[in-house]
Amino acid sequence: MKILIIEDELGLQRSIAQYLLSQGNLCSQASTYTEALERLAVYEYDCILLDLTLPDGEGLQILNYLQKMNRTEGVIIISAKNSIHQKIEGLSLGADDYLVKPFHLSELNARILAVVRRKSAHGERHIEFNEIRIDLDAKEVHVNGKAVYLTKKEFDLLLYFVSNKGKVISKSAAVEHIWGDDSDMADSFDFIYTHIKNIRKKLTDVGSKDYFQSVYGIGYKFTEA
Amino acid sequence: MKLFTRYNRILMIISLFGLLLIGILFYRMLIYYLDQQIDHDLVEEVMEVKEYSAEGNFYQPHEFEDLIVQYKKIQKVNPSSSYADTVFYNPVKHRKETARYLKTEFNLVGQPYQILVIASKFERQEQIRDICLIILIPVTLLFALVLLINRVLLRKIWSPFEQLLKNITAFNINHERPYEPVEMPVAEFRQLNKVLVELSGKVKSDYNEIKLFTENASHEMMTPLAVINSKLDNMLQSHVLNKEDGETLMELYKATSRLTKLNQSLLLLVKIDNNLLQDEERVNLKSLIEEKQIYFQELITERNITVETVLADVTISASRSLLEILINNLFSNVIRHNYDGGKIKIILDEEKIVFANTGHNKALDPGKIFDRFYKDNVSEGTGLGLAILKQICNRQHYQLDYSYHQDLHTFTVKFNHQ
Repeated sequence: MKILIIEDELGLQRSIAQYLLSQGNLCSQASTYTEALERLAVYEYDCILLDLTLPDGEGLQILNYLQKMNRTEGVIIISAKNSIHQKIEGLSLGADDYLVKPFHLSELNARILAVVRRKSAHGERHIEFNEIRIDLDAKEVHVNGKAVYLTKKEFDLLLYFVSNKGKVISKSAAVEHIWGDDSDMADSFDFIYTHIKNIRKKLTDVGSKDYFQSVYGIGYKFTEA
Repeated sequence: MKLFTRYNRILMIISLFGLLLIGILFYRMLIYYLDQQIDHDLVEEVMEVKEYSAEGNFYQPHEFEDLIVQYKKIQKVNPSSSYADTVFYNPVKHRKETARYLKTEFNLVGQPYQILVIASKFERQEQIRDICLIILIPVTLLFALVLLINRVLLRKIWSPFEQLLKNITAFNINHERPYEPVEMPVAEFRQLNKVLVELSGKVKSDYNEIKLFTENASHEMMTPLAVINSKLDNMLQSHVLNKEDGETLMELYKATSRLTKLNQSLLLLVKIDNNLLQDEERVNLKSLIEEKQIYFQELITERNITVETVLADVTISASRSLLEILINNLFSNVIRHNYDGGKIKIILDEEKIVFANTGHNKALDPGKIFDRFYKDNVSEGTGLGLAILKQICNRQHYQLDYSYHQDLHTFTVKFNHQ
């Protein structure tokens, strides 16, 4: 996928690019409003990551531009502002998602995939990983054609891991994905273990291989090898 | 005691004492002058007696003079005279009356006599009484009138002041409404009013500035936090990490997460303060609590905590986001401060929500637990959860109470049904 990262904080820009590149994407970077417009005038992307406060312009104007030019790229706003007004404004101007800083790169990656999936016309409404097939509409998981009954949280977690396959996802990223940021539970990560254990068991029970790997007690990786 | 009650009381006490004193003095003075006058008359009568005796007669006063003269033969003249009060029988009016007499001795028609002249004071006393009444009644009336005018006038003059007091009481730093100035005819009050307007304006702008500062500071921290977080996420992918690095990373994640949470909580507090969450709607609390219970289910089972719920089907009108945060924080709190295998009790009825939990701690200080950054030493939270709870209750005009009984820390949110 081709992804444009519009972000003036270079440290963050580089980290995002690094993570997305390692997932097999192509990344362009822009640190200013003008630079972003230059890129957009020449290239087309699958997804655009947009920071709203740029040194030489408002990120929202880029949304205006994209709308005016009838562009079809998926846009995810990444902003430090967690305001309902700004979310509504951004989404009504054509953004597809709104991610509040700070976020985990795995979360960003999962959102990019979700946005691109939604955008693509011939909508791949399911994801396959070897013998596992995840149906996104029906929220069902099948292993070799056999249904696996997961709870909503387990389903979300599996999807999250599959979206970031091959990557280590820290417990804290997994907790935040499932719980959002409105619970004052930031310090209790360990119960995520129970979830992973349950998913593992449910998958292997119907003949799936165990793809979850624990990494130094800090997180998990969903990977082939 | 109200200012003008106090003022009136002092005024009344002083006036009463003053009037009493003046009255007594006045009365004494009158009596004194009266006695002097009577004494003078008595002397004149004695002169008359002497004049009559020079002609060889005994003087007898007319009946209508309220005066009698008594002669008493004595052995020897002891030239002296004395005045005194007495009571005598008025032969004309046939009654006893107070009187004054002059006793003196001298030779009458060549014989030594003691002469006693007694004059009735009755008429004069009547006069005094009349004079006193004539003066006392108007003075008393005047006094009453002054008090009355005082009362009315003071009330009128103080009425803008009372309005002013009402407005100060109504002034709330968290509300949009500024301090309302009052029209003041009195210069001092006008000045007070002016000072208050300025002061409230200053307090408000300072407070807003602090809020803005908190908001900006927290916002500014979010971007560096995002950088740290993303760097950690990338570092985690490294294949050369050993166990020690893993632990370090874990600690870093935890610290970053806490810092993020802290910032978010501060921003949330500002948001609630600024009344930015105004999505008022009908919210079914029972289903909200049940929803949140599922949301927190893993945490609860993980720690083997028993949940006991008594939920009535209650729907109230309030901001949905605030209620969600409220229930979230109540849940987080009862889970966080519980022990493994502990108990949570949730009660919902038309009047209140009650969250109670078992915990390691004994009773907490209800005056302190809702303070910002109040934490017990084992708590790993931000120390803002309960402060946010309190803030939401303030905003929604709910009453938030903490109590501890039967080994349960109990938080009660009482709704305010208007």
